Amino acid sequence: MSIAPKPHSALLIVGHGSTENPDSSTPYFDHAAEIRRRNLFAEVHCCFWKEEPSMREVLYQVDSDEVYIVPDFISEGYFTQDVIPREFQLTGPTSVVRGKTLHYCLPVGVHPHMTDLILRRACETAPDIDPATTTLIITGHGTGLNQNSTKAIRDQVDLIAASGAGYAAVLDAYMEEQPFIAEWDQLSQTPNVIVVPFFISDGLHSYQDIPVLLGIDPEVGPAASQREVFRHNPHHLRGKTLYYTSAIGTERLLADVILDQISDFDQIHKPL
Amino acid sequence: MPTAEKLHRLIQSGVHRMGEIEIQTNVANIPFMLTHWQDAAAVNKPEFGGVEVHRDPAAAREISTYAEDGTYRFTKGQVNLKRGWLMALGSLEELRQALDHFYPACLGLFLAEEDGTLEVEFLRDKLQRQTGMYRFARNISDAGAQQLVRTVCGPAHQCAKRILWQIDAATPLEDSEASRFNGIPGEVPQNEAIPLLCREACNHFVAECRRVAKTEFEQKPA
Repeated sequence: MSIAPKPHSALLIVGHGSTENPDSSTPYFDHAAEIRRRNLFAEVHCCFWKEEPSMREVLYQVDSDEVYIVPDFISEGYFTQDVIPREFQLTGPTSVVRGKTLHYCLPVGVHPHMTDLILRRACETAPDIDPATTTLIITGHGTGLNQNSTKAIRDQVDLIAASGAGYAAVLDAYMEEQPFIAEWDQLSQTPNVIVVPFFISDGLHSYQDIPVLLGIDPEVGPAASQREVFRHNPHHLRGKTLYYTSAIGTERLLADVILDQISDFDQIHKPL
Repeated sequence: MPTAEKLHRLIQSGVHRMGEIEIQTNVANIPFMLTHWQDAAAVNKPEFGGVEVHRDPAAAREISTYAEDGTYRFTKGQVNLKRGWLMALGSLEELRQALDHFYPACLGLFLAEEDGTLEVEFLRDKLQRQTGMYRFARNISDAGAQQLVRTVCGPAHQCAKRILWQIDAATPLEDSEASRFNGIPGEVPQNEAIPLLCREACNHFVAECRRVAKTEFEQKPA
């Protein structure tokens, strides 16, 4: 979907960030740079929960009176429903805060176009294998803080299963709730397995924790950018052939999904 | 007035320093040059004295991510910005973007303070709105928080920001090197620098509050 230029509006991309791993925020800056190149907005900025600028401070660096806020988060959940509205002092889809009109869009991860990104990432990582002999597992964190956190992944599983992509099975699995990603081999009935981490960045979870749970790494390794050798696919483990992709949020086309969410917001909340 | 124009006025009035960044104008036909203030002389040397030259303001993020010793600078007010680079920028907007990467929102915070619109958040309010694992941080005592300012904040602990917040409306920070620091590292007159302002406690401070609150709880007599 194309979006009309908004030369008097700012775009704020909201990410989690990390006090331990700088790779965590790289995709947000990449997506911001990609959108900035297209000259659609007067300004494009990033802000974070764990890095600077914070959500409480970023508006001080915004000149525009109208601001679209897009959570570059993978699901509806604790951050998009509790933390971000609280930090920006939002009162609804559109709020006026300190003289600025803030439009709060849905997180990128719940947009239907994420399905295309997952299929593309799976094909790129395992180009020569037959989907009919392959289980596609979409994996996420899973948390007790908010049950919606897993909904985006389950929705993607349903969409891909119905898409005609031809995978023998499409499953969801999590780090901290059932079905556990650590049991990927027992969850899969096929000889080939592709695991796509449904995270925005290659941070602690996708490149450090999950490889241990999958059995690729014996223990948690250094941050992704500090590694000399990235994942080598395929991995022959537990009697199966395993392909492990980088986090879905590192996909360059995620910038389009950010714009899609703004377009959807306008259609729903700002009818012409 | 747009932020870039306000920045232009500041520079015209003689401002040339922000944090550890020295801002030089119209050197070698380049509108704006940024360096670590200790590398300021590089702009006049042949081939800039061999420092790395960047022309994209976005490079500021990469330059400021790691300190010289390789540690991750997760708060940008740290006084360990690495040296050995120079940024040549062609416009005010690029200058503004670079400064926003080096010191996120700090220019805007300073301008808001200048025009009286900066909203400061006291520590108790900040801790009160923490949820999840940081909820416990609100249990820190006033004495514990005052001590933390001495041991976490200020240039002695690598933070160059001027603290604007108090414990709460009735409890200012006790006098210390950290609480009285003016937000301007390096030797430069106050009217020639944009100070780095701390309008609310950072995430690192909140995490430390949680740690101290837990220690205080464990040490309470049963």
